[in-house]
Amino acid sequence: MAILTLSTLPLSRKLALAWLALLVLVAALAPVLPLAYAPSTPDLAHIAQAPFGPSRHWLGTDPQGRDVLSVLIFGTRTAVLLTLPAAGLSALLGALTGGAAGFWGNSLRLEASYWLMAAGIIWWAVALPLPEAGLVGAGLGIALALAARGGHRTLPTWPVPMETVVMGTATTIDTIPRLVLVVAMAAGTGISTMGLLVLLTLTAWAHPARLVRAQMLRVRALPFIEACRAAGLPGGRIWLRHAMPLAIQPLRTAFPLSVAGLLGLESTLSFLGIGLPPDVASWGRLLGTIREEPAAWWIFTFPAILLITTILSLNKLSREPR
Amino acid sequence: MARLAFWHLARTVLAVWALASAVFLLSYRDQDAAAQLALPDASEASAASASVGASGAGQRSRQLAAVRQRLGLDLPLFYVSRAAGPDQQWHWNGPANQYHRWVTNLLHGNLGTSFRTGQAVATRLRAALACTLPLTGTAAVLAVLAAVVLGQRLAARPWWHRPMRTALTAVHGLPLFVVALALLLLFANPDVFAWFPAYGFAPHADGVAADLGSYLTHLALPVLALVLTALPELTLQLEAALTQELRTDYATTARAKGLAEGAVIRHHALRNALLPTITQLAALLPALVAGAVVVEVIFALPGMGRLLADAAAARDYPVLVGGVLLTGAARLLALLLADLLYLWADPRIRWQS
Repeated sequence: MAILTLSTLPLSRKLALAWLALLVLVAALAPVLPLAYAPSTPDLAHIAQAPFGPSRHWLGTDPQGRDVLSVLIFGTRTAVLLTLPAAGLSALLGALTGGAAGFWGNSLRLEASYWLMAAGIIWWAVALPLPEAGLVGAGLGIALALAARGGHRTLPTWPVPMETVVMGTATTIDTIPRLVLVVAMAAGTGISTMGLLVLLTLTAWAHPARLVRAQMLRVRALPFIEACRAAGLPGGRIWLRHAMPLAIQPLRTAFPLSVAGLLGLESTLSFLGIGLPPDVASWGRLLGTIREEPAAWWIFTFPAILLITTILSLNKLSREPR
Repeated sequence: MARLAFWHLARTVLAVWALASAVFLLSYRDQDAAAQLALPDASEASAASASVGASGAGQRSRQLAAVRQRLGLDLPLFYVSRAAGPDQQWHWNGPANQYHRWVTNLLHGNLGTSFRTGQAVATRLRAALACTLPLTGTAAVLAVLAAVVLGQRLAARPWWHRPMRTALTAVHGLPLFVVALALLLLFANPDVFAWFPAYGFAPHADGVAADLGSYLTHLALPVLALVLTALPELTLQLEAALTQELRTDYATTARAKGLAEGAVIRHHALRNALLPTITQLAALLPALVAGAVVVEVIFALPGMGRLLADAAAARDYPVLVGGVLLTGAARLLALLLADLLYLWADPRIRWQS
């Protein structure tokens, strides 16, 4: 089946897919590829050397004497290992929060016992004075919930302002352009790859959340959701099993675009010298070294071609086939 | 409409305050580094302490403490803090904390002083804005004008419709710094075309008119880079909206009474199709500030973006937080502008309110 659909794709999409698969493969195999030079050890005897020269630097070296080919390959690894997880995590976070906000709005009501339980656990987790009081509160909440369930009594309920919280946070994050926000938060060099990943995820989830919420508002009004409710299924199960699979459809086209955006952001940050530590190979950082040696066209051309081809392939993938 | 616009603005003010607070509070993790970098003659001092040994180290730590006190970093960060001890108890710091001081100063219109230069942040921001506003303002106006012209032409389906669309879509995906670098390497490079200067922009104290020619040649490439990245989104959006409007009944009526296609677009469809473009405008102004970060670093312009990037590298937190606040202000301004333009473009909005 997969082969069948693959063979019916138009040629341009096949090429785009093949290119992206090649990048992922290179990223995975980078540590075992037989490279003549390591990316972070400079070859000071050959500085800013043109490609296809007498030495074994096939694509030349940059002004610090690093081999362009190996920087490109390890830069691919950095890009893939950073943008794919960041896009995946932000899509997951956005789908969960946006889906919940769209499905329940502000109308989900929780019984007082659950509120007591949550407040007790939070009290205990942040170690407010007398943390044991929090545990006692949580225990009391559990007991109340069990008693109410056993005795079929109803406790007072309070609404959860889920939509307000999710959409308010998304608006807050979207107020300032992502680049300015990330630059301000990742001030200074030397934030780890993991830290940058978390930062990118936290600034990128708002868009998928909006998309999924908008789709969920349409899905929850469809007749089959009503049928599920009439059949007596619990709300959480309807949400996860029946509504979410439809609500996350917009992410199929948004995901490649999100990867492309994160790739551009990551290389811009590396180009500015903010974020990743200087010894991590990156396309953006390699592009930045052209300013030290403007005549060295190979420092600009090769990473620029890689970056542009990758972004165009991702854009191609995101367009729906007719 | 006025109420809606008011709530719009109120929400944005809240969001800007929340973001600036988050950036301010997150800066705690590097306060030591900030103090180290703000130390006078940091490299000399470290060399001296290395040579003198223990007494030098003691002197250095005294210097550090003095710097921390001068910058106000010796106060606790927030109203409550957690003790570092094993019991990790919370305790209340009262109003003598950095956050309280920052908010109070902000309400008095004081953005603080820069860690690095000791100047007022407002002064530095104003000096940087004097360089950035002409750049981003020109770019925004040019991009919108070019998008309106190009979108109209494209909607009339000329023969170059398809190649133009393809080119716009391709440029749309490119990161700004690649476009700007390519422009720099092509048109400001003695090896290729040395038509424009690559750097050396110096704003004059007595206004920009002192040397208009040099000013314009210095701004040409940065403005071109910003326009090239802003144009495709605006144009494609406007063209799609126009195409949709041209399929409506009133457009058919206009054609039936004998109007040329260009007149139908100009006098009938364009104003209706402008609404989504106005929405984009609200995102365009802050985005141009962000774009200025990249463009100013590449073309060595002493503007807002350079200031922000340098402040981020040097951990100059007052300047960074000031920059975030200013970007938020640009967003507020853009929202206000967009709301006013809605009223102009679609009078029905006025009647509904």
